[in-house]
Amino acid sequence: MTGYLSIEIKRMLRGPRFIIFAIVLPVGLYLMECMLYKNQVIPHSNGITYSAWLMCSLAAYSAFTSSMHTSARVAHERSIGWHRQLRLTPLLPRNYLLSKIVVSMIVALPGPLFVALAGATLQDVHLSVAGWLQITLGIWIAALPCAVLGLVIGLYVAVEQQQMYLQGLVLLFGFLGGLLLPTTGFPGWLTAVVKTLPSYWLADIGHGALLHGTRTLVAALVLAGWTVVLSGAVILNSRREAARA
Amino acid sequence: MKTTEKTTARAEGTVPVAAPPEPAPAPAAAEAKGKSGPASQAEPAIRVTGLRKVYGEVQAVKGIDLTIAPGEVVALLGPNGAGKSTTIDMILGLSHPTSGEISIFGRAPYLAVREGLVSAVLQEGSLIDDISVRETLEMISSLYKKPLPLDEVLRRANIEDIVDRRGTKLSGGQRQRARFACALIGNPQLLVLDEPTSAMDVGSRRKFWESMRKFTDTGRTVVFATHYLDEAEEFADRVVLMRGGEIAADGTVAKIRALTAGRVLRASVPDAKEADLRALPGVTAAALRLGRVELHCEDSDKSLRALLTTYPDAYDIEISASGLEEAFLSLTAADETDVQEDAA
Repeated sequence: MTGYLSIEIKRMLRGPRFIIFAIVLPVGLYLMECMLYKNQVIPHSNGITYSAWLMCSLAAYSAFTSSMHTSARVAHERSIGWHRQLRLTPLLPRNYLLSKIVVSMIVALPGPLFVALAGATLQDVHLSVAGWLQITLGIWIAALPCAVLGLVIGLYVAVEQQQMYLQGLVLLFGFLGGLLLPTTGFPGWLTAVVKTLPSYWLADIGHGALLHGTRTLVAALVLAGWTVVLSGAVILNSRREAARA
Repeated sequence: MKTTEKTTARAEGTVPVAAPPEPAPAPAAAEAKGKSGPASQAEPAIRVTGLRKVYGEVQAVKGIDLTIAPGEVVALLGPNGAGKSTTIDMILGLSHPTSGEISIFGRAPYLAVREGLVSAVLQEGSLIDDISVRETLEMISSLYKKPLPLDEVLRRANIEDIVDRRGTKLSGGQRQRARFACALIGNPQLLVLDEPTSAMDVGSRRKFWESMRKFTDTGRTVVFATHYLDEAEEFADRVVLMRGGEIAADGTVAKIRALTAGRVLRASVPDAKEADLRALPGVTAAALRLGRVELHCEDSDKSLRALLTTYPDAYDIEISASGLEEAFLSLTAADETDVQEDAA
């Protein structure tokens, strides 16, 4: 497994893609939005600044999008037959799948880290130690179901449609989950719906660092639920592949 | 109309030789057994019994029995759609049989793959484009307990010159040789190749088979699917002809050649019996259909004399040369013809 994982990591780090999508883009987006709001305080917020709020949003958003990055690669590898090639080696299918999730998680880490760093150094955001940990490590761990979701898309969707599905999901989950816009204006029924989304709780964990009111238990339960269900889908696919008609 | 007769004749099952496989060539097999340890000593490299695969309403493989001894080099010969790839997929554990048993050195296919006993070069499938051939090989090598040294693999697969290129920078033939190297690196006892040269030009094919020969010289078992007759003739000890999901003929190359390289004698013979015809001197195979006889002869002069002695009223006699190509086509012709002719 380590041999396979290391080549996956090497592939991921190679080329500018990783740095652009996992680091430059979220940090750039964060700084740009901060410029728009000029470090103002959000009205009726007990003194929370836009730059602090956006830092939490974008830390969560970057973890969310980059954790799903595997899907393109998995779909591509499936289409070129690399999957079958690997099935002719002693590599266990579950180790292949685990490697993909590990790589996704590695890709998901720098986003929150660098956004937090930018917030602390360039935007003068202050958080407690626990707060900083929450928007970096907390968000990172919470991105696990999204990493599995990326894998599910890569396994189930044909390579030609993979981008469409991925972008659609990013947009839908991003908007509805409150990663891109606040959900406060949503009607009651929609709020109830979005509370089942992993992205909602990812955002909640991020903003919780400011609000001191994170519903950690609920978040953990919902996210764990998603992880279990999506992992089930991965296992189902793996079984089906093994018994391929 | 001649072709019609040919196919109908074969449809009655006369030409196919369902000969039991010859014992493996002694020296090579002995060497393989000596090397491969206890696992393969008692067990055949491949044992397939009653293998069937049904996709919806299509029967891709219709009941195959096949035993391949360690050290044999076997060509799976047949036209597209004969069931070769489906059979190979099942042998490698890539798909499950609808029914039937497969064992590779006495193990389930997936275990044989996991233990590195078997590996394969498939018809489709490519390498990852963003890493070099060397990196791919190193990664695959790390998955095996006892891989071959990289240098040896590069030499054997003839890819020393392209090892630092990435997947995108390889020609079809180079890519296939790189994939061959991927299959070699686990040091398998059994190598399965599904039309390995279909994407190659003549030069690449020659190079590829050169390295294949080096591999088989070490006493390993090789099974390769092909629709090139010359490849089967040149590289295999044994040829298994597949047609319409079944084994149409199975024998040594010499046997298949004898079956196919002689002359074909056709005649109308009243009251002839197939078994008697086959017993005529010089006849390797016989088919009978509506009083019309088709004899495959290794010595057609002798056969003709015997035929006329036994059946003096034989008429409309014609003798023609049957190339391997023609025999191959007749042996492996599609099933639809049979059905139509039988109905007619």
